[in-house]
Amino acid sequence: MIEFRDVTFVHQTGKTALRDVSLKVEKAEMLAVVGENGAGKTTLVKHVNGLLKPTKGTVLVDGEDTRLKSTAELSRKVGIAFQNPDHQLFSESVEAETTFALKNFGFSRELIDQRLNWALQFFGLDEYRNSSPLALSGGEKKRLTLACILAWDPEVVILDEPTVGQDAIQKEKLSGIIKMLRSTGKTTIIVSHDVEFIWPLQPRLVVMSQGRIVADGPAHTLMGDEKLLEGARVMQPQLVKLYQRLRRRPDSPFASVNDARMWITGPVGVG
Amino acid sequence: MYWVAGGFIFRRVGSPFHSLDPRVKLLISAELFVVSLTAYSVTQLAVVMGVMLCIAAVAKILKRVGRTLVFSAGFSVFIFVINLFARQSLLTSAIYSVRFLAIIISTSLFFITTSPDELEQVMKSAHLPRDVVFAFTTAVRFIPVLMLDAIQIVDAQKSRGLEVEKGNLIKRVRKMVPVLIPLVVNSVIRSGELAEAMESRAYGAVPRPTSLNRYSSSKRDKLVAAGSLILFIITVYIYVRFPTPL
Ligand SMILES: Nc1ncnc2c1ncn2[C@@H]1O[C@H](COP(=O)(O)OP(=O)(O)OP(=O)(O)O)[C@@H](O)[C@H]1O
Ligand SMILES: [Mg+2]
Repeated sequence: MIEFRDVTFVHQTGKTALRDVSLKVEKAEMLAVVGENGAGKTTLVKHVNGLLKPTKGTVLVDGEDTRLKSTAELSRKVGIAFQNPDHQLFSESVEAETTFALKNFGFSRELIDQRLNWALQFFGLDEYRNSSPLALSGGEKKRLTLACILAWDPEVVILDEPTVGQDAIQKEKLSGIIKMLRSTGKTTIIVSHDVEFIWPLQPRLVVMSQGRIVADGPAHTLMGDEKLLEGARVMQPQLVKLYQRLRRRPDSPFASVNDARMWITGPVGVG
Repeated sequence: MYWVAGGFIFRRVGSPFHSLDPRVKLLISAELFVVSLTAYSVTQLAVVMGVMLCIAAVAKILKRVGRTLVFSAGFSVFIFVINLFARQSLLTSAIYSVRFLAIIISTSLFFITTSPDELEQVMKSAHLPRDVVFAFTTAVRFIPVLMLDAIQIVDAQKSRGLEVEKGNLIKRVRKMVPVLIPLVVNSVIRSGELAEAMESRAYGAVPRPTSLNRYSSSKRDKLVAAGSLILFIITVYIYVRFPTPL
């Protein structure tokens, strides 16, 4: 579905943000990308919808080279919700904001109506339908940017720091949305520093540091690797830490870290 | 987009020109500006351009001046065409458009080589009110920030299917709306936050806050200033005394 082949990217300033990155993401896979500030996470995802084209190497989306496609064409397939909502909200109403992309893609009127209603209801923004998006709270703005993306139902959904500024309930909801995306066969890429949020989703984890992918594997194994995470300045989830400490004692109550998780939260649906 | 932003960002470079007293740099830049603006023959323009490019070379900013030139070339061509339409001769039109470029270079010499801090000192030494100085230098400082914001915004809107590069002129202007609104709103929000943060740090609490900068020009500064003034006067004399036809 998405493939990076030895991609190197150098910014105009001469700063190398990606170094020989190779990565393959299959359809319906859920990927989480973590790494220190400036590791190149945002640069990586900007390659998927062609906002950035590799300086060296190739990026393929559905087997097609992104160099040959415009961002508008690729975006129909790949929806990216960026870090900062203030960098995109501009319409006079929440409704107009949500339908902006749908109009750009030439959706029919009926379909736009249908998708709009779904998105606003789903993200609990229906009551603000006619208010200005700029007057929303920080968390609501962030949710609106997600609604704007999911409204056109892209096959690949990329969320850059989706949990920033969200309260506990909204995070829980977001987690539910991501699980739903997975169950409906969407490819999902989540960029986040919030390991406590990512970990229970049990995604495939990609750890980046200084423009390189330093580890790639299931979250439940990589999150146990304290050294690796420290190198990329990522916190280990508290529960994993606790489990690892307890395990050294003879009377550890948990057989596995999953046990520990179940003990606290109850079973978490995977998929 | 990126290199446009780069053109506005002041970079510290060690060169004989950069290290001049900012007031001297302003003087030189102003002199060159006047000389460019009043140049009316090919020879004059060529000499002025040559002098400015030499200064740029000494200041190690030839590349950046070049970029500025490329950026303003479109406008220069526009001036050329407009003048042709206004039934000016080919030569006159060319002089007008090159003169425009000369003016751009003369001002950018000052702005590329002067840091916002130095700008502040120049304005303070001219005894402008503190608030005015502050407002101006903050505005200058925020230009690069604004450019980076603009890049982020364009990226976000492109990701929502906005095709900035497509369509006729009117369509393209309309497509700027989704970019301009967040840009303006952001800067308004940012300036409000800046004002609050500054007041929280007691801006304006006393009428004469402590100043840490003492400014004095060296012998070299005075020499360069005097030299440039003499050259300027000679040039003006030549302009007036020997008016060459176009
Ligand atoms: N437009 C740009 N021009 C020049 N350099 C840039 C630009 N955008 C990012 N960079 C640089 O590229 C590197 C990677 O940036 P990137 O935004 O991809 O990091 P990130 O992993 O998303 O960080 P964060 O966690 O802070 O969001 C950084 O060193 C950054 O300074
Ligand atoms: Mg980022």
